[in-house]
Amino acid sequence: MADTVPPGRYSGKRDIRTDAVNYAIELGAIEKTFAGHQVLKKVSLRVKQGEVCSIIGPSGAGKSTLLRCVNLLEQPDGGNMVVAGQYLAAGRSHPRRELLQLRRNVGMVFQSFNLFPHLTVLENIVLPQRRVLKLSAEEARERGAELLKRVGLAEKADAYPAKISGGQQQRVAIARALALEPKVMLFDEPTSALDPELAQEVLAVMKEVAASGMTMLVVTHEMGFARTIGDHLVVMEDGAIIEQGVPEEVMTNPSEERTRKFLSAVNR
Amino acid sequence: MEGMWAIILAIPYTLLVTAGAFLVGFLLAIPLALARRSKVAPVRGVAGLLIDLARGIPPIVWLLFIFFGLPLLKIKMNALEAGILGLGVVSAGYLAEIFRGGLLAVPRGQFEACQALGLGGWTSFVEVISPQALRAMLPGLATYFIGLIKDSSIASVIGVTEMVYTATTYARNSADGIYTFFAAAAVYIVLSVPFGLMARGMEARMQVSSR
Repeated sequence: MADTVPPGRYSGKRDIRTDAVNYAIELGAIEKTFAGHQVLKKVSLRVKQGEVCSIIGPSGAGKSTLLRCVNLLEQPDGGNMVVAGQYLAAGRSHPRRELLQLRRNVGMVFQSFNLFPHLTVLENIVLPQRRVLKLSAEEARERGAELLKRVGLAEKADAYPAKISGGQQQRVAIARALALEPKVMLFDEPTSALDPELAQEVLAVMKEVAASGMTMLVVTHEMGFARTIGDHLVVMEDGAIIEQGVPEEVMTNPSEERTRKFLSAVNR
Repeated sequence: MEGMWAIILAIPYTLLVTAGAFLVGFLLAIPLALARRSKVAPVRGVAGLLIDLARGIPPIVWLLFIFFGLPLLKIKMNALEAGILGLGVVSAGYLAEIFRGGLLAVPRGQFEACQALGLGGWTSFVEVISPQALRAMLPGLATYFIGLIKDSSIASVIGVTEMVYTATTYARNSADGIYTFFAAAAVYIVLSVPFGLMARGMEARMQVSSR
């Protein structure tokens, strides 16, 4: 990236290009309590621009809650964060305009796909483009068709979600989120509801999205994905991050006994 | 034979009371159902109270209140208007609960998908949530509408010249009056059965697109 900056632009000054890292997501001491039970205990996490960060850990560790805090589907009780350059502090209600701006920048893919069942595959991708990006019907359809081609489902444009497989639905859901050109994509156990075979086709699409330079935060049980596609691995347990680092290193040589236990349980 | 003709001429009034009350009820029920889901507890409470009042007081009492009571407040209306308003109020109570049930049938994930995509509240409601809620509500709506066709006869007590009023009047003045009630009964059947079939047809069509 450094050599694309016009020469002389920073001349004479400290070169901020090399020592300042751009973070797409910075979470600072995020706290969340549900009915007296603390689900997130001051969790801090940074995800670099273009990085694929996987979050693993036993169920009930708070992985999904943390992810949902990033686009404020869940309101944190404490802490603050910067997401795609937008500063957000917890513990206050966010004005509509702020929420819409955040969600313009952050796409999300759910475990249960959540396609709109009364709309066709293409209409699912067209609707948000028209309402959020204010594109014309024609332009939205054109871009929608292109995205469907990208996820390998061009021929399913006119099918209703119920008529296609779970894997195909999830690929449509990814296309729908990508249509809004987010800066960050959140994936909440995107393959957990799928047979292994169908999961693979979703993972292939996610791999392609990662290769395109998208910043991705992925809650997953797919150790293969976390290891091979992920740049960073975060292990959570009991509402806290217990270990993080390069996926290969964390997986082959975890420093925490609890990580070791979790890994041996999933690799069994 | 005269009686038959009188019944047939009264059909438009039956339809008008039914359709009018359903429309009034539908429009009043939307804000009531949304208020029932409000985050503000007092709003929920007031909406619940209104729904209970609408449903808890017998329709005939509502009609008498409105037709004879409102003029005391210098609000005057004719029997037809009072009938439509009275049955409309009762309908609002029932329809609000049907709407609430319909909204409950829409999975939470649909609301979350709308939020995550940054769709506005109005867009989400109109283009995503309502069509799905409507599908869940259709059997309830059809059942209520068919009930309302028959309940429109209650408007006869305040003098709306619909079928039962006409039959009653005719029966009082003739020896074979009972036959006009048979005629009215036949018309009620003819009116309600097609609506039932239509609703089933609509449901089937909607399921084709979702399942």
